[in-house]
Amino acid sequence: MHPFQYQRADSADQAVAAVAKTPGATFIAGGTSHLDLMKEDVHHPSLLVDVSALPLKQITAFEGGVRIGAGVSNTAAAYHPDLQQRYAAMSEALLAGASVQIRNMASMAGNPLQRTRCPYFRDPAQACNKRTPGSGCAAIGGYNHVHALFGASKACIATHPSDLAVALAALDARVQTTGPRTIAFPELLRLPGDTPHLDTVLEHGELITAIDLPAFAGRSHYLKVRERASYAYALVSCAVALEMDGPKIRRARVALGGVAHKPWRVGPAEALLAGQLPTEQLFQAAANAAFADAKPLEHNAYKIPMGRNLMVRALLETSGLQPMQGPAGTAFAASVGGVAGRLATPR
Amino acid sequence: MRMPHESAPNLQTGDLAPNCVLPDGSRLFEWRGRPVILAFAPEEWDPTRAHQSEIFARLSREFGSGATFVDTATDEWHALNCRGALAAQFGVAGQRALFLLDERGVVRWKTVVAPGQDLRAGQVLAALEALHSPPATAGGVSALGGGLSRRTFVTATLAAAALLLLPGCSTESTTKEANSAADPMGPASSADTIPVVLTINGKTHRLQLDPRVALLDALRENLHLTGTKKGCDHGQCGACTVHLDGQSALSCLTLAVMSQGKEITTIEGLSTGETLHPMQAAFLKHDAFQCGYCTPGQIMAATALLQDKNVRAGSAVEIREAMSGNLCRCGAYPNIIAAIQEVQRA
Repeated sequence: MHPFQYQRADSADQAVAAVAKTPGATFIAGGTSHLDLMKEDVHHPSLLVDVSALPLKQITAFEGGVRIGAGVSNTAAAYHPDLQQRYAAMSEALLAGASVQIRNMASMAGNPLQRTRCPYFRDPAQACNKRTPGSGCAAIGGYNHVHALFGASKACIATHPSDLAVALAALDARVQTTGPRTIAFPELLRLPGDTPHLDTVLEHGELITAIDLPAFAGRSHYLKVRERASYAYALVSCAVALEMDGPKIRRARVALGGVAHKPWRVGPAEALLAGQLPTEQLFQAAANAAFADAKPLEHNAYKIPMGRNLMVRALLETSGLQPMQGPAGTAFAASVGGVAGRLATPR
Repeated sequence: MRMPHESAPNLQTGDLAPNCVLPDGSRLFEWRGRPVILAFAPEEWDPTRAHQSEIFARLSREFGSGATFVDTATDEWHALNCRGALAAQFGVAGQRALFLLDERGVVRWKTVVAPGQDLRAGQVLAALEALHSPPATAGGVSALGGGLSRRTFVTATLAAAALLLLPGCSTESTTKEANSAADPMGPASSADTIPVVLTINGKTHRLQLDPRVALLDALRENLHLTGTKKGCDHGQCGACTVHLDGQSALSCLTLAVMSQGKEITTIEGLSTGETLHPMQAAFLKHDAFQCGYCTPGQIMAATALLQDKNVRAGSAVEIREAMSGNLCRCGAYPNIIAAIQEVQRA
């Protein structure tokens, strides 16, 4: 690990000032991803500004929705009774991600800012435009089974690893920053284009202070497929937020995870669902629309049928046409294939 | 009394401090009539740290008219770099040191902490005691009438507190046994280290660490608390699990410097004397390990689980999910679950 200076910030202003004036400085909160990448010689900050002690740990009612402080731990947010009930997709995404230890450590603002799990990014011996701009992309001709179906570029085919980010995208969450500005969730994260080293639209020294969840009176759900039953990143995931108008779907929001450089909202599919009665045929049509533009690589074409099936199932379970595998708002509802020995399956 | 121009490499108590230019541009002699404190520290000692600036702000107030190195308006204060010419003038080049000068500019108290050395609380007390007696002065000038003014005493006390914050300073334990045992310190401090105060199993440890040191390595390498295991060192196996403020956390992905102010519990802190924690006893009873390498992490995760109201007690499925961050290459999972269930039901 490269040497760095360390400074604990007592206020957001102090943290921002310290990072803004220091090239190579970064914030650190939970550190679960950042410190790992520092050990891997992928990140080498000159200065770490510790924002973990900042008073950004409140969960409060806000404009009919909820404001979650940036420093709230993943655990505290996931089990917050109001959040677990009203924004089940978010709790499910959090609890189906990482481990208890990491959820205790990780912050709500840090989670969506974690870097890709592309193995070439994490190996300094490999070419990677995200890690070393201009060095090329070893994944394009390499083993790319966990890589993107949508929005990839010639410079980068990585996917975004955060489960939480997918749920937040479906819930139209917004982040508040020290800009000060408000950034809607899908726009916080970028597509790779020819600048894959930039994951977000945040400026150097811009700190997220809160995540706002807008008012939501429908049902939401997160579903995830992974290579083992627990404590693994998603191969494909899907977050759904449905608002009903009597028996019909008034508005549907669907975001896919594990398929792009950012959570992938599927507008055409959402348009198909709006105003319709929920049926399996409708959901099939929506899933087909969602994946119509998928561009598979050499090793990841399996994600297309897997993603379509997952999206249909997520819609069936959210709309109530099919029971969830576990209680809403828990990891057991979110995990395809059961979690480490499943709960009694209702089916 | 030595004269200022003779500024010796070893400025002693009772000597007149040499005149010099201070970081704020003033000359030391301009501060005659007021006590002055001079702090020498390496550059990397970050004075903006809140508890440090608070102490120096209080020093500033005690000094009254602002004869201080704290600019309370901007909260910036000026440490004297121990590698500068000034430090050489005071004979403390490369060292951490505090000088307390009385109203006449005479050194009343001086403490130097050499690299890698500890400053014990007793030394600080002795230094404060020394302040109570009249200084050994030449030239027939008696200082302060043989006693200390309240202000000088308060200042000295604060100075002692400040000194304890200097890098490389002492270990003070909150328990008697830790006081009697030499505190295991890491390698000698260098210019790249910073003071880190950790509260582990109820004891306070003052360390001098490179900021890169993970809590796991501080526990194992600096404090020789080797119960906590290094498995993958990347947050994938759970062998390094400890409790931070009662919650399970990975010590390999936690910087030691960021663990300050938290109650850290390791496997060594679970038992009471020879009496095992019920979870330790249950692991033994159920043969919940083979090689044992993952066991401390498993037990720390399991004991945190006991306090976790979000996990239904006794549910094997929920235990499996909650324990998924702890891998066991021997595959002792069924016995681990049995052990946890037994303790949950007890």
